[in-house]
Amino acid sequence: MSHLMRLAVRLWAACALFVCSAAAQPAPAGFTVPIAYYKLPNGLKVALSRDTTAPLVVVAVYYKIGFRIEPRDRTGFAHLFEHLMFQGSKNLPKGEFDKLIEGNGGINNGSTRFDFTNYFEVVPSHVLEPMLWGEADRMKNLALTAENLKNQQGVVGNEVKVNVLNQPYGGFPWLDMPQYANKNWFNSHNFYGDLKDIEAATLADAQSFARTYYAPNNAALALVGDFDEAQAKRWIEKYFASIPSSKLPPQPDLTEPRQEAEQRFSRTDKLARKPALGVAYQMPPRLTPEHYAMVLLDQILIQGDDSLLTRELVKKRGYTNAVEGGINLLGNQFDYNGPMLFIFNLVHDANVLPDQILAAADPIISGLAEKPVTKESLDRALVKLRSQFYQSLTQFGGFGRADLMASFALFDGNPALINSLEDNLRKVTPELIQKTAKEYLRRSNRTVLVVEAGGAPKAPASAGGVK
Amino acid sequence: MRFLAVVGMLAASLSAQERETPPPLGTPKPFALPAGETFTLKNGMKVTMAEYGAIPLVSIQASVAFGKANESADQVWLSTMTLQLMREGTQSKNAAQVANEAARLGGQLQVVPGADQSTVGIDILGDFAADGVKLVADVLQHPRFPESELERVRNDLLRQVAVQLATPRAQATQAFAARLFPEHPYGRMFPAESQLKGYSLAGIRKFYGENVGAQRTHLYVVGRFDPGVRKAIEAAFEGWPAGPPVKRSPPTPVATGQLVLLDRPDAVQSTLYIGLPIGVKPGDPDYLPMQVTNTLLGGSFTSRITNNIREQKGYTYSPFSAVTNRYRTAYWVESADVTTKVTGDSIHEILYEIDRLRKEPPDARELKGVQNFMGGIFVFRNTSNQGIISQLSFVDLHGLKDDFLRTYVQKVNAVTRQDVQRITETYLNPARMTYVVVGDKSKIEESLKPYPPK
Repeated sequence: MSHLMRLAVRLWAACALFVCSAAAQPAPAGFTVPIAYYKLPNGLKVALSRDTTAPLVVVAVYYKIGFRIEPRDRTGFAHLFEHLMFQGSKNLPKGEFDKLIEGNGGINNGSTRFDFTNYFEVVPSHVLEPMLWGEADRMKNLALTAENLKNQQGVVGNEVKVNVLNQPYGGFPWLDMPQYANKNWFNSHNFYGDLKDIEAATLADAQSFARTYYAPNNAALALVGDFDEAQAKRWIEKYFASIPSSKLPPQPDLTEPRQEAEQRFSRTDKLARKPALGVAYQMPPRLTPEHYAMVLLDQILIQGDDSLLTRELVKKRGYTNAVEGGINLLGNQFDYNGPMLFIFNLVHDANVLPDQILAAADPIISGLAEKPVTKESLDRALVKLRSQFYQSLTQFGGFGRADLMASFALFDGNPALINSLEDNLRKVTPELIQKTAKEYLRRSNRTVLVVEAGGAPKAPASAGGVK
Repeated sequence: MRFLAVVGMLAASLSAQERETPPPLGTPKPFALPAGETFTLKNGMKVTMAEYGAIPLVSIQASVAFGKANESADQVWLSTMTLQLMREGTQSKNAAQVANEAARLGGQLQVVPGADQSTVGIDILGDFAADGVKLVADVLQHPRFPESELERVRNDLLRQVAVQLATPRAQATQAFAARLFPEHPYGRMFPAESQLKGYSLAGIRKFYGENVGAQRTHLYVVGRFDPGVRKAIEAAFEGWPAGPPVKRSPPTPVATGQLVLLDRPDAVQSTLYIGLPIGVKPGDPDYLPMQVTNTLLGGSFTSRITNNIREQKGYTYSPFSAVTNRYRTAYWVESADVTTKVTGDSIHEILYEIDRLRKEPPDARELKGVQNFMGGIFVFRNTSNQGIISQLSFVDLHGLKDDFLRTYVQKVNAVTRQDVQRITETYLNPARMTYVVVGDKSKIEESLKPYPPK
């Protein structure tokens, strides 16, 4: 647990631990997530789901500001600002909110994603009211200082160094692939941030950002766990209702042009001793029938030992230890709101060329466009999704459930969508999967990224025992 | 020292009197550990079943007293290779059939090599618990060890070693373990390429036979399932021979008082791994006081070292200290990846915080906060299927009494301010620590001269 805590500290790649795998999936008959949903007059969206399994409650506040739409001359700013939200507010000087949480038996975290920034606590049930008070305080009255900005510029710089600059495969493919694959700046800039941009951020930037985006009409609050619903509603009213709404700027155009030709890039990773390969496909629009078909195709192709590419590239050919990837590597298949990539990636030996790997994968992928999948394969994909959906509901004290509720509230105004996922997946026919594979898994819709191993020993790599 | 000129309280423009105070806490709700049932099969295999949760999932996990600890010097990662090969099919099912069956149940077979114990398990839909038990039983008892997959598995492991050893963290932990545990398997984290290339199928089969069997296994079934699954467990495991008895040879760890500098040219950060063996094992009177001390010193976000080198100085992103408990031995480590030019400064601040706690006890409010935190985390840990298994398996590995978990929170709360000072003084002596630093030698060597302190 304490290891998780460490990584959970303001770490967006922390989703690797508890959100990425929170593949949000079908709610089978027999378990419906109870949801109460309403809006305060100031626009704050509130979604509640009671579960008395454990005397814990999750408080999650999601702001509809992700790194995608951060200021153009301030790459990495949405994430830097996330750190500033932990640096003190009017009634809770720096460090005091953390102490209020940990000192009462809870844990907290925040993360910055494509289309939202979130803040959450998992605390013993009797600590709910101070958490709502504290979240409202930083929504209303963030206390920004030059000293704390400077301190967090140092921390964020170190975050980029430890996760990207001093790591083999640092940023591959979650950070670099969107930059290669996408055409629209909003989707294709370096969202961890150039160190220069992070250093250049000013207090005025932060104040303006807070005023614009950190307002109740741009936020959703989700509670999951053991709480009294009527009492929770009274507290939410008491602490959040007086926070004024802001005038939100129009949403910029995030669309990506239809991709008509395969793109291919290569870069050298000075620290890597083995080469790697990443392949990304532009996704269909979110929550369309084709999107649900891609959620199933992800399972069929790369998730689990039974998946087709794992079988071909790992088990049959021995090209790699594992085929990794998925839809939205910084979250799950549903908690985003714009263009998205389906990515698979792997590390391989130098004596196997990227084109050999692609030549082995291509017939498997194009096979899905040529004929419908079998019922057995589709059924396995559905049951894996059901099980993963259940796991996401229980994940991290119930945070996985709060994530879906808050995302569906924030982007769709309807957290109860969490209960429609299984139906929508079940509606997907083998024919739709085939049609979706034909349009979205076509070669001309993909980007191939080759990572060369700049850190490999000079002597030719051993042939090992590849079959 | 710069530490005394801390920026700490500048965040709010209001004085303490003008601030609102947080609303009061409610009344804590009771928490009971999930009730479990443990029994032993005739062949000596232990089974624990615990019904937990509202969502129809079950975790099935066999912990086997088998792992790195059983490897001799010429067998590094032989346990890993044996376990990897156990994923490649059983006498009655090939690897693809095993994978399909796992997926049909809603899961994936997990085989995780460990130091003192390794696990074979699966997280699946609760309705399929009996089939999950059967699959885990089959993988454990009837591995196929197919010749056809040997070279591929070997090459995967060679690739894995190369990938891991390119990370500064693996380089640091390898060096640290080698210094603390010379002449013991714990100290041999990675195999040489030539060594991995030498393992034969016959050797793997022999190693499996010497180390895997009913007496060494404890099966956990936790979650939502039909209690009738007990019959499936008995049917699937009763025929398994008792096999080898549990064998353990705890090390005599070394407190070196040495600096180990590994050059990583051009590294933008230095990876620090600073710590020492501590002669406290789970169940000892000093065990929970040590846990409390660690949490206060570096083991939580609000801890002293983290507050200093992250929240005040901005030297690092994810500093953390932890006590790692192996069978009958343990060590404490503070780890951090710090910006290259503040490498020496970071160590200075870490030692400053250790020394401060050696000299004076924490104040009562700070200690109470840490105790509350640990009490809350204890609940959190015991409220997921995997978390519950991990707690039960910890109790089993360390041979703890039944009341270890039941009295945990009470004993944490009984730790005093003086205990924390005494523990730091007794166990965390900077002169005895091993200081592993992975970084750009040309830039940091000079700043490391004072370490270890005399």
